[in-house]
Amino acid sequence: MTENEKFDLIVVGGGPAGLTAAYVAAKAGLQVGVLERGDFCGSKNVFGGIFFTNVLRQIMPDKTKEMPYERVVTKRRWSLLTPDGEIAGGFKFSKFSKEPHNNSFTVIRAKFDKWLSEKTEEAGAMILTGATVDDFIIENNKIKGLKVRMEDGDIYGDVIILADGVNSLLAKKLRMHNELPKEATIIGVKEVIALPEEKIKDRFNLNADEGVAYEYFGYSAKGAIGSGFIYTNKDTISIGVGATIKSLLKHKYNPNDLLEYFKEHPAIAPYIKDGEQKEYSAHLIPDMGYDGISKLYKDNVMVVGDAAGFVNASLFHEGTNLAMESGRIAGEIAVLAKQKNDFTEAVTSLYEKRLNESFVIKDLKKFRKLPKVLEHNPQLFQKYPEIMEEFVRDMFTVDGESKSKKQKRLIGRLLKKESIFGFIKTALAARRVIL
Amino acid sequence: MSTRVYKTMEDKLGLDKFKPFEKTHLKIKQGVNVKELIEGKLFVCPAKVYELNDKGESIVSFENCLECGTCRVAAPDEIEWEYPQGGYGVTFRYG
Repeated sequence: MTENEKFDLIVVGGGPAGLTAAYVAAKAGLQVGVLERGDFCGSKNVFGGIFFTNVLRQIMPDKTKEMPYERVVTKRRWSLLTPDGEIAGGFKFSKFSKEPHNNSFTVIRAKFDKWLSEKTEEAGAMILTGATVDDFIIENNKIKGLKVRMEDGDIYGDVIILADGVNSLLAKKLRMHNELPKEATIIGVKEVIALPEEKIKDRFNLNADEGVAYEYFGYSAKGAIGSGFIYTNKDTISIGVGATIKSLLKHKYNPNDLLEYFKEHPAIAPYIKDGEQKEYSAHLIPDMGYDGISKLYKDNVMVVGDAAGFVNASLFHEGTNLAMESGRIAGEIAVLAKQKNDFTEAVTSLYEKRLNESFVIKDLKKFRKLPKVLEHNPQLFQKYPEIMEEFVRDMFTVDGESKSKKQKRLIGRLLKKESIFGFIKTALAARRVIL
Repeated sequence: MSTRVYKTMEDKLGLDKFKPFEKTHLKIKQGVNVKELIEGKLFVCPAKVYELNDKGESIVSFENCLECGTCRVAAPDEIEWEYPQGGYGVTFRYG
């Protein structure tokens, strides 16, 4: 490709953020190229399991009915996993089984992202697969395009959107991002396990195409700073566990050992019993929150999705919608830049400005203390699950002892394990994680 | 009817679809103490890419790589990491 046949916009990475940016810009008439390193969009993409479709509905309201989904998430449940069992709470609302389904669906990314890429192509974007980008083409201090690892791999474009995922080597090359911090980067490992549809409905108490999202905190990573999950698909279950790289190094755990521990836990094992393992995957999750967001723009460049660090790792566990919203706004800014024929920071900075007004930044800001709270309160992952287990189990033990006597005895015992100050400190810390 | 249960990383990787490229995309930098590196840090790799042989030399099984980047974050100063050639490496059928 020569500079004379350049794109208006080049997007690196065919995930939800990149494809959304490409879709929006192509719809508005821009010449858009998407560079995807996999064989097809979705082939390198991994997540836990819920796709939040609020932005999808906004950009293609007429097409959401066709999207390949597995189940509608009508039931969410959060559990404090303890060494011996669990203490749980959650909700199930039948309202969510009706349109717009609370915009929460389990999906298989290999199918979903591929579908989204087809819609993006229909909108006029060109998708190049098998294209690993190694570097930028820089001339006279100006970013002119990208070097793809292939013959004649120089691709030119006026503006570049980096949607190259959590590792985002390209944003790092531009020093828009430092290396991912070990204490706020989660390695998630996941298995997809097949079970007959009827069995899934029975085990999780589901009607028709309803599904569940079960999240497990506390001792789910054997004392490491991490959590686990189960999401139901049509005839498979996604099950996984994640922990910060720093705490894995500290505890000397391999992620697969944690997954095996989680799968064999007495509160978990019955859900997946007799299932047939279909796939094993691993992926990083940027958990830095608001304070770890990359620089988002410079002349000719914007950064979106996981590459920018847009994951809400609180109880809400949202990522796909943050990715799409950032992609949508960046796509619109690319269109604006084309209209003004100005691809400098004068225009690309508007991406950050608009993003600041969106739920992406507002939500990340709300939970900005989360990564530090988790890092500095390791008791949330071992000591407290143990204490909670002891307290709740003993209170509910039926043995003829009066409840008030039990309570008195237990409080006395608990205060030997932790001071009142310690309890208050941890309660305040935990509050940051929750709401 | 009982289904076979895979527990080890080796067995689980057998479930996945790979198209290995001829050349490695993962390298341990020159001059690094590989024993310390692998035993001290790279045990966190979820795909058992890094192992020591009987002689204490490193074996980098890049063909098993799930392309997650964990080794890169765990040992940024010791690992040279790039994505594999486009179209090669792991293909997730579910993801």
